[in-house]
Amino acid sequence: MPPYVGSGWAAVHHTHNLDPLLLAVWLLPLAGALALWAFGPQLRRGAGVLGTAVVFVCFALTLFDVRGAFGSPASGVGIGNAVPLVSWLPGFDFGLLWDPLALLWTLVITGVGGLIHLYSIGYMAGDKAQARFFAYLNFFVFAMLTLVLSDNFVGLLVGWGLVGLASYFLIGFWFYKPSAVAAARKAFVINVAGDVGLMFAIFVMFAATGSTTYADVFSHAGTLPQGVILTICIALFIACAAKSAQLPLHTWLPDAMEGPTPVSALIHAATMVTAGVYLIARCAPLWDASPDARALVGTIGALTALTGALLAIAQWDIKRILAYSTMSQIGYMIMGVGVGAYQAGILHFYAHAFFKALLFLGAGLVIHELGDEQDVRKMGGLRTRTPIAFIAMAIGTLAIIGFPGFSGFYSKDAVIYGVLERGYPALYAIAVITAGITGYYMFRMIFVTFYGRYRGDVPDAELGLAGRPPASAHGHHGAPRWLMEAPVIVLMVPSVIAGYVSIGGAGSLWMRYFKADFASQPLPAPPPPFSELASTLLVFAIVAAGVAVAYLRYGTAAAKEGAVARLRTEAARIPQPFVRAFYFDDLIDAVAVRPARALGNAFSRFVDPHVIDAGVTDVARIAGRLGRELRGIQTGLVRAYAFVVVGGAVVFIAYFALLRLPR
Amino acid sequence: MTSLPVDISNYVGLSAVIFFIGVAGVLTRRNPLIVLMSIELMFNAANLALIAFSRFWQNNAGHIFAFLVITVAAAEAAIGLAIVVVAFRRAKNVDVDEVAGLHG
Repeated sequence: MPPYVGSGWAAVHHTHNLDPLLLAVWLLPLAGALALWAFGPQLRRGAGVLGTAVVFVCFALTLFDVRGAFGSPASGVGIGNAVPLVSWLPGFDFGLLWDPLALLWTLVITGVGGLIHLYSIGYMAGDKAQARFFAYLNFFVFAMLTLVLSDNFVGLLVGWGLVGLASYFLIGFWFYKPSAVAAARKAFVINVAGDVGLMFAIFVMFAATGSTTYADVFSHAGTLPQGVILTICIALFIACAAKSAQLPLHTWLPDAMEGPTPVSALIHAATMVTAGVYLIARCAPLWDASPDARALVGTIGALTALTGALLAIAQWDIKRILAYSTMSQIGYMIMGVGVGAYQAGILHFYAHAFFKALLFLGAGLVIHELGDEQDVRKMGGLRTRTPIAFIAMAIGTLAIIGFPGFSGFYSKDAVIYGVLERGYPALYAIAVITAGITGYYMFRMIFVTFYGRYRGDVPDAELGLAGRPPASAHGHHGAPRWLMEAPVIVLMVPSVIAGYVSIGGAGSLWMRYFKADFASQPLPAPPPPFSELASTLLVFAIVAAGVAVAYLRYGTAAAKEGAVARLRTEAARIPQPFVRAFYFDDLIDAVAVRPARALGNAFSRFVDPHVIDAGVTDVARIAGRLGRELRGIQTGLVRAYAFVVVGGAVVFIAYFALLRLPR
Repeated sequence: MTSLPVDISNYVGLSAVIFFIGVAGVLTRRNPLIVLMSIELMFNAANLALIAFSRFWQNNAGHIFAFLVITVAAAEAAIGLAIVVVAFRRAKNVDVDEVAGLHG
């Protein structure tokens, strides 16, 4: 029996009456983006208010429509509603799918997204292009909703591409900075490589099943040959790796920090980069049918988590620390959903969306306060100067390292133990070690940023920073401070309590929420050698060790005293592989960029001048030659022209008179 | 007394003679006023032929067409004379062979 009979996919309830709330949730951000594009400059300050209001209205409408995601009571059981909207070819319908998974992502996108919009009003207050910024943000929300609400792979691909485009717009928002433009282009190109993977997956599944809707494709999952399923899964995972910054396609994410900080919080931490997690969870039937795909994705997720954590150790830019930490945490999520611990992986997405947005927004407060200074070596002692930022980042840090009682404690431990439960002890070991490194690098950031003495007035040379480009302030004035602090304070609450939904094991609210989405699969025969509680204690001990190392290196009174000299020597002593981010950029450069450039050079040297240009210039030369030869006919003499006219008339008449008239 | 029957060929012959006088004038004369007058001759030769054939075939279309030709001739004369005036002002000269600025 295929494993998916009886699971949720058989019970998708196709309804033909449109759900106006759902349509509004989906299309309002697009309307907001279009309005801001068209009338933004006239709205001035109102642009941010409009963009924010649109997203909050979407959030409210989503809350009103929660019940719809679980099927209408009148229609009996059903996990959701598929709403067909348009048919672009016979048999190819685009519709919306409203089910618990889509609901969860929509709530996070509009909820966290709304708070980040609100924060942006304050953060971007001094920027002249506010309207453009909010238009892009609203456009991103629309694209992301398209991605998660589509009921088929083609609609998913459309959303997948559009979020990449929105990300490109927003990374390169300050387009006068060459580094921002380069980062935007890099992100876009790598994301398009992922889009191609997704497209290839769609081709294969269409060839194999004749359909691109989730329900049809997944109903075939049990009967397709292993090779086909593995091919689809690998192609899908290429898309996930590019979008969610998994090895080896992660190199764009740290560079993406060139964008404004709210963008980093919304797109490059909370929502867009978790699209890969969504895709794997959505395609659970495919992964359940392919053990090889599970092992592959789980392994890459684990390695990504480890790599991100290791690289975060060596960063000095506060946003790059958080970027590598995001990469590491998404590695956890991908590992979780990859090995089949879907609920755990999604819970980590859910918790991470809050605490990572909180961390980024807190970092944004610091950066804003210091006039766009992002290097932690120039910070220090900010605990009293930016107390809200300190509390926010402290809560975020406790959540991300999995301190008991904070959201990350529930989600991360669930992922880590879920991996062991499903029979991947090696991945478990990597995950536990990574948790320890997470504790180290997060507390390193906290100690260096918020403790000790403020080093902003220490000359760059003394900190080993000589020769760096000057920071370009994006303009700070006008907006009241509470406008930025209010969303941060609001986000502190879910960063603590988001994990509580999973308390209670199999009977918890969280497990009941997804009971129809993921078929309960039997766990492999040998149960784990120790219980979840023992695993939690082990993880906690290792995290505590990591935190202790950070404290000894950066937190003690002696370390705080000699911080300037310490940081200078330490920056110089970071091993080369860490500085070069394990040579992934060089790898991609050698494998993809340089061959592509060589091909381009070859074309520009041979094909362009000798084939394409040659054709075009020959046409021009022939036309010119003809003109020069024939211009002699034009004498300019009126009588000559008259003679030609008369001669022509004579020839004409002679022709008809002599040859054509019937005799 | 009945009118003398005049054969159609007489009209056509007269028309042809007038027409070729006009053609010869256009081709040989260098004074633009004479050239314009020659063109008028050609128009009127055509009109004569049109009226003759119209009468011959008992069809009034030829009459109407002749009026059109007269209208066109008037317009042509107006424009032609304007051109001659402008050309004379520019070149102080009314020789059509001298007005050859459009040669290639």
